[in-house]
Amino acid sequence: MKRRAPSYSVSRVPHVLVAGALALFVSLFVPASLSGCQSGLDAPLPAASALDAPPKRGGILHLSSFGNIRGLDPANIADGLVSTLHQLLFAGLLDFDERGEVIPRLAERYETSQDGRSYRFFLRPGVLFHDGTELRADDVKRSIERALHPTAPNPFASFYAAIRGYDTFSKGKSEELAGVVVEGTYVVRIDLVEPDSTFLALFAMQVLRPVCKSGGRRYTDDFVPCGAGPFKLKEYVRGEQVTFARHEGYFEPGKPYLDGIVFTFGVNMSAARYKFQNGDLDTLRDLTAGDLLAFQSDPRWAPYGAYDRERQIMGEAMNTELPPFDNVEVRRAVVAAIDRSHYAKVKPATLRIANQPIPPGTPGFDPDLKGQEYDLPAALEHMKRAGYPYDPATKTGGYPHIIPYYTYRQGVSEYTAQVFQQEVAKIGIRLELRLVSYPTYLAQIGRRKKVPVGPWGWSEDYPDALDFLESLFHSKGIAEDDASNVSFYSSAELDRLVDDAKHELDPKRKKSLVSRAVEKILEDAPFAFAYSVRFYDIHQPYVRGVKAHPVWARNVSFVWLDRQKDARSAAFLRSPSPERTRGLASR
Amino acid sequence: MTMARTLARRLAHGLVVLFATVTLAFFLNEVVPSDPARMVAGAQARAEDVEKVRRELGTNKPLAQRYARFLRRLVHVASTKAAPDHATCAALGPLHLDLGKSYQKRRPVVDILAERAPRTIALAFTAVLVQALLGTALGLFAAKHRRTLKDRVTVGSSLVATSAPTFMTGLLLQLFFAKILGVLPLDGFGASFSDHVASIVLPSLTLGLYGAALYTRISRDEMVTELGRDYVRTAKAKGAGPTAVMRHAFRNVLVPLVTLVGLDLGALVSGAAVTETLFRWPGLGSLAVEALLDRDGPVLMGTVLVTCLGVVLSSIFVDLSVHWLDPRARNEEPARGS
Repeated sequence: MKRRAPSYSVSRVPHVLVAGALALFVSLFVPASLSGCQSGLDAPLPAASALDAPPKRGGILHLSSFGNIRGLDPANIADGLVSTLHQLLFAGLLDFDERGEVIPRLAERYETSQDGRSYRFFLRPGVLFHDGTELRADDVKRSIERALHPTAPNPFASFYAAIRGYDTFSKGKSEELAGVVVEGTYVVRIDLVEPDSTFLALFAMQVLRPVCKSGGRRYTDDFVPCGAGPFKLKEYVRGEQVTFARHEGYFEPGKPYLDGIVFTFGVNMSAARYKFQNGDLDTLRDLTAGDLLAFQSDPRWAPYGAYDRERQIMGEAMNTELPPFDNVEVRRAVVAAIDRSHYAKVKPATLRIANQPIPPGTPGFDPDLKGQEYDLPAALEHMKRAGYPYDPATKTGGYPHIIPYYTYRQGVSEYTAQVFQQEVAKIGIRLELRLVSYPTYLAQIGRRKKVPVGPWGWSEDYPDALDFLESLFHSKGIAEDDASNVSFYSSAELDRLVDDAKHELDPKRKKSLVSRAVEKILEDAPFAFAYSVRFYDIHQPYVRGVKAHPVWARNVSFVWLDRQKDARSAAFLRSPSPERTRGLASR
Repeated sequence: MTMARTLARRLAHGLVVLFATVTLAFFLNEVVPSDPARMVAGAQARAEDVEKVRRELGTNKPLAQRYARFLRRLVHVASTKAAPDHATCAALGPLHLDLGKSYQKRRPVVDILAERAPRTIALAFTAVLVQALLGTALGLFAAKHRRTLKDRVTVGSSLVATSAPTFMTGLLLQLFFAKILGVLPLDGFGASFSDHVASIVLPSLTLGLYGAALYTRISRDEMVTELGRDYVRTAKAKGAGPTAVMRHAFRNVLVPLVTLVGLDLGALVSGAAVTETLFRWPGLGSLAVEALLDRDGPVLMGTVLVTCLGVVLSSIFVDLSVHWLDPRARNEEPARGS
């Protein structure tokens, strides 16, 4: 007779034993995890010299991110992280100073023609690329044409459509970009088809920065990044790490101070914090909400952390071509129904309330503007005027149909969607949340007459209010697919104001036009502005010269290290690190 | 049935499975309402720039045309790799394998896979080794002390380990071994062989602890069954010691364990995305997740192909192992229980 194999089910394990095993597990690991929690932050590693000590040369700065980059070619920028690295590798003819103003960098100076259609740049003689060759005007022209040629996968090319000849060049009908003219060894002129008040800011961005002759006349995927920035590429292990070494031929004497920089990708937040506290990383940006509060509330660490300026705006885009948001009164009702403080509660240390189209860190932001405000009685009145009166006491009336709201998992949109759903329920608008993947969301929201309402926002492409107004609200941003104006809002008056501001070179008159455009947007309410996201950077005390930059995140080009030789945590000394075995890790 | 016939039959089945899976994956990826060009250009790219990227990637062409192109170049014969048309190929003599170029990384997919696959295979093997050795050892220990406190604590502990999600186990191991003790690297892959060895310990342990419980349960139960069989009683009557008896019975426990090893290897070759991401282990799992999130079709198809190949080959390995270990299987008799 065959014996039945004894089965061992969970129910046969006495619960007390499972509990015992669990207790063993917990007793082993929980004390360990608590010791590493917020309450147990290690002390900062001190600097060697006094605060007013002059900069020192030497040392390797270690940074990390949980994100990754696609590549290091300025003609193919499509992620937010890479600008930090481009700032090290590629210097531009123009750049931004610490107040966000455009300044000459590789150019000694520049001139603007009377009609604002022409810019002449005078290059500094003797500026060297990383390969030792001198930067000349024809390198500038070659680099611009390389980045704007139709074979380059440059997602920002059309931003430069104002350059004369762009139209034919971008269609492959001409081999040269007529508007970029070499006038001498060190002089290059850029002609525009019409005056453009945003051009200098656009030109100061990284897309058109000069690359070495090895970059060729046309974009190729195998370009080894080479520019005229303060650091040159030493090693790039794709998806893992990039290592920079000081560019000894950098045009500013004595700079940069660091021997090199190591940037590691894909480091999860807890690992990054451990590394930072061990002294394996010198700055930290990706923080869990708990860690962020711990660092901020610890008086030993608080002086070494700071928020970046907010340069993005987030909110709810209402499709003005679809009911009920084709009715301006409904849109006004939504705008007034939102108590924006509820959004901020989703992530209090990171989200800040926003109520106008320009974020606080972008030129054009008006701190005195009243903007969109929470006013429930006014919201109910707007619903009444729209023909959908709602009685909050009896919860009757309102818009009779359920409205689909598309959102996605990445970021905080999954949570802010629930806030929005509750806010508009107060005025009788019922939303059905549809959670889709980010790529699906992106494809749907930009498609005409597809999504009635959804989360949308804009991050600063270049520091100018018109970046936001033109992208989000100008009718040029409307397309059958891939619209940037996902409210599909079209107003001839707004278009005219934005266009006039773009062509207006007088700052005062431009400011006035921008203010009127903002007023028009607030009046027509195609968008409920809700919050902006801010990032917190913290560094060890021995990292000196750290200044939050209004345009470039983690601007570490000219920081220096002032570290005591024995200032390492005990764990750092014990811990083996693959990074430290790579080339530059010298400490 | 001879080993050769079994192998030939399994390979033929494998090819059919491979073709069907790859085709299904291709169409599934295409019917999802999303746009790879949009993902390449970024959320804020203007419509004309997205269109330019779309043309460059070729995703503006009809689906049937793209599928035909995918199949045509997947495996083909060519005399040279120098021609621009073959820049993204991997050549095995005249036989070329071509999965195109990654939309996001802008590198040949075969190069990316060649870089990532060995790392995932190394992680899969070490993780399965930890699972099998640790799990089986605990299972045998529990079987030897069956129905005692030791047995119950062992099985109970394995239940706890398998109930913890891998990211939690991984974080705790990072904290304990890297942060507190400082004896192992927190994460990364490293540049030298010794770095790789040190770096693989924690991810292998994370996956190993998670998977070991199943081996504990199976080896314990199978061993208890075997120890109750007549041949064991006979061996004991003839004076065989406990170790000899255990060794004798263990041979019969091997068949289900080898089956499990094969299946686990197949599953792990597809990559353990969470563990790879947590430990910054640059393998196929994290690659597949990235590709999925970015709608990077060529990379996605590459990972599907490698995963499917891993599962097919591990299944063949299981069949052949069982064939070799169990004489009944060779005679086409039911493998067990008869």
